Amino acid sequence: MAVKRKIIKERVPTPEMPAEERIKSFAEVNLGYTFELAVKEAERCLQCPYNYAPCIKGCPVHIDIPGFISKLVQYRDDPDRAVKEALNVIWACNSLPATTGRVCPQEDQCEMNCVMGRVGDKINIGKLERFVADYAREKGIDEGLLFEIVPKIEKKGQSVAIIGAGPAGLTAAGELAKLGYDVTIYEALHEAGGVLMYGIPEFRLPKSIVESEIDKLKKLGVKILTDHVVGRTVTIEELLEEYDAVFIGSGAGTPRLINAPGINLNGIYTANEFLTRVNLMKAYKFPEYDTPVKVGKKVVVIGAGNTAMDAARSARRFGAEVTIAYRRGPEDVSARVEEVEHAKEEGIKFEFYINPVEFIGDENGKIKAVKFEKMKALDERDSRGKRKIVGTGEYVTLEADTVIIAIGKHPNRLIVNTPGLKVERGRIVVDENLMTSIPGVFAGGDAIRGEATVILAMGDGRMAAKAIHEYLTKKREGNA
Amino acid sequence: MPYKILEKKEISMRNIWYKIHAPHVAKKVQPGQFVIVRAFKNGERIPLTPVMWDRDEGWIVLITFIRGRTTMRMANELKPGDEILNIAGPLGNPTEMEKFGKILAIGAYTGIVEVYPIAKAWQEFGNDVTTLHVTFEPMVVLKDELEKAVGRHILETVPIDPNLDFPTNMKNVTKRLTEKVRELLEKEEYDMVFMVGPAGDQKAVFNVVKEFGVPMKSDLHPIMVDGTGMCGACRVTVGGEVKFACIDGPEFDAYQVSWDELIARSGYYTDMEQRAMQEYMKALQGGEQ
Repeated sequence: MAVKRKIIKERVPTPEMPAEERIKSFAEVNLGYTFELAVKEAERCLQCPYNYAPCIKGCPVHIDIPGFISKLVQYRDDPDRAVKEALNVIWACNSLPATTGRVCPQEDQCEMNCVMGRVGDKINIGKLERFVADYAREKGIDEGLLFEIVPKIEKKGQSVAIIGAGPAGLTAAGELAKLGYDVTIYEALHEAGGVLMYGIPEFRLPKSIVESEIDKLKKLGVKILTDHVVGRTVTIEELLEEYDAVFIGSGAGTPRLINAPGINLNGIYTANEFLTRVNLMKAYKFPEYDTPVKVGKKVVVIGAGNTAMDAARSARRFGAEVTIAYRRGPEDVSARVEEVEHAKEEGIKFEFYINPVEFIGDENGKIKAVKFEKMKALDERDSRGKRKIVGTGEYVTLEADTVIIAIGKHPNRLIVNTPGLKVERGRIVVDENLMTSIPGVFAGGDAIRGEATVILAMGDGRMAAKAIHEYLTKKREGNA
Repeated sequence: MPYKILEKKEISMRNIWYKIHAPHVAKKVQPGQFVIVRAFKNGERIPLTPVMWDRDEGWIVLITFIRGRTTMRMANELKPGDEILNIAGPLGNPTEMEKFGKILAIGAYTGIVEVYPIAKAWQEFGNDVTTLHVTFEPMVVLKDELEKAVGRHILETVPIDPNLDFPTNMKNVTKRLTEKVRELLEKEEYDMVFMVGPAGDQKAVFNVVKEFGVPMKSDLHPIMVDGTGMCGACRVTVGGEVKFACIDGPEFDAYQVSWDELIARSGYYTDMEQRAMQEYMKALQGGEQ
């Protein structure tokens, strides 16, 4: 039967908290769709056939996007049913949709490929995914679905240890638990979630949502041991004695610093420290919460990735004037478009083509200014396709009483120092099945990539789970 | 995964002893390592040192000196049978166990509790260890334990003069500390000096030690948040390079440490800590009325 489809070019917008209001709080900026708005947006989807759908190809975990969107339209008269069916489709590939719906760079992945983009606005896939997850959580639909899934899981009698409760580890854990393995996650911090808890601010990803997604994993049978630092509390060799396989999803936890005089002055934070104080330890609620943080009146954030935007927008919420300083130009900013837009709306200034060369302190060892060299771009491009930059020999100084360094991270050294584990430039080396140089030990996410996105880490977690399943199936059948 | 407090007692003024069930730490901890404790939901993550442990029974002993709101809250609000929310670790590198020869191991204030397991292990390893504890008179800890564990334990106490403010009183401790170290180094030949204590006192002692050219190791305690190399709060310049005390240390060659930078960084939150402490005291007084 031929359905006549009316093309609606404009995206149904999601309501947002106004900029002047949101810089006074850490509450979530984007308010998300209602069911009515979600259906309206879902109706715009052209429903490309599964084999063709370019959005699925753009998604690192290959969610059946037209599939879940169609459920919202199909069961529009029964919102609970619509969401349940849609969630079931998403869960087949992604256990953390409330998170990915918020923090994925959809514009570079699923939405980049959307056919609607040729005639109008692309489908707002991220916000639809988020809507399904949020509605399901609020109505307890996700719990109901879990209740149906869990009893059907066939226990395999084999166990897997997972290092790190961040996006890669949680995803691998969820997939392996669904396949019937006993899964235990070893997490160094006091809460599971990894970068979702310590790195991404409340206004972009409320912590209660991360907690609720982790709760669902626990209901699937995943055990989480917090306060366990692999490399200290327990070694990978010891884990291999106890478990049938190990997955390393330890992330890129070590901050990169700038090799310039004055880097250890007071008032200079790494983005990791600043965001950990603010997000994980809730320093914005000091002294109700015991952990302090000092945000001055003039804050300079160095770097222009998502972490830099998160740090800048967090500092703004303490009432600071914030400037983002980046050594390249606007076209090379790696943060998501939405985050850059939100930052600009919130009054954050951007200075391009300046590279820090010296941190200048006062007599008490406290930062007061940063000296930058002005840079210029050449036509030549580097290996990442970015234009090469060179110093001009001209300098500019910006006043600052707080500086946040957000120029990237290395994988955590405690893990990469494992004997027998092959590592190149700080990153764990893996084969095409994500197996490391130690048999039975797999790795994924930032531990192998250096620094990437939540969804790429989740993609690795999913792929590793599949590879571990194959490895353990062979092991099981070999032993039988 | 909460950790049960098995015993708690005040062992001297402002020094509280906690014996805590923490099998994952007890199983692995070595002298020189530390843990990060988060006692309350809205609490800080603070580094503390296991002083004693039992691998089979799964307990560790932590001794805290009440100096900020977190340690004050622990002292006031926790009782035996209660649970500490988080103890992560063990963290940091274990102390090198070698035959150094004759060692002077110094602890200023509660620094001595961190010296204890290390000095004990060094002595057992065949070194001749002298421990020196300098503190205020009512704050003596582990005297009997140290006398048993090492070759010689020297205790130097300074009275608290109620007519003087606290910083001036502390200067008297620093003075006694440096005088005593000088006296010992003049009289005897040591192969190594080791110290735990506030950064300012460490620097003062180092300045004496370097006159004698004796090798010195310092156990550093910069501000930490995660303790696993993730945040970079604990960075110190050692030999011109930026090191993270949590994963590269906590022990460093005292001759290579940038002391003034460490002292400045250690004091960065003092004003906020005082504010938090005052508000807590006010709330306590209000609550008791």
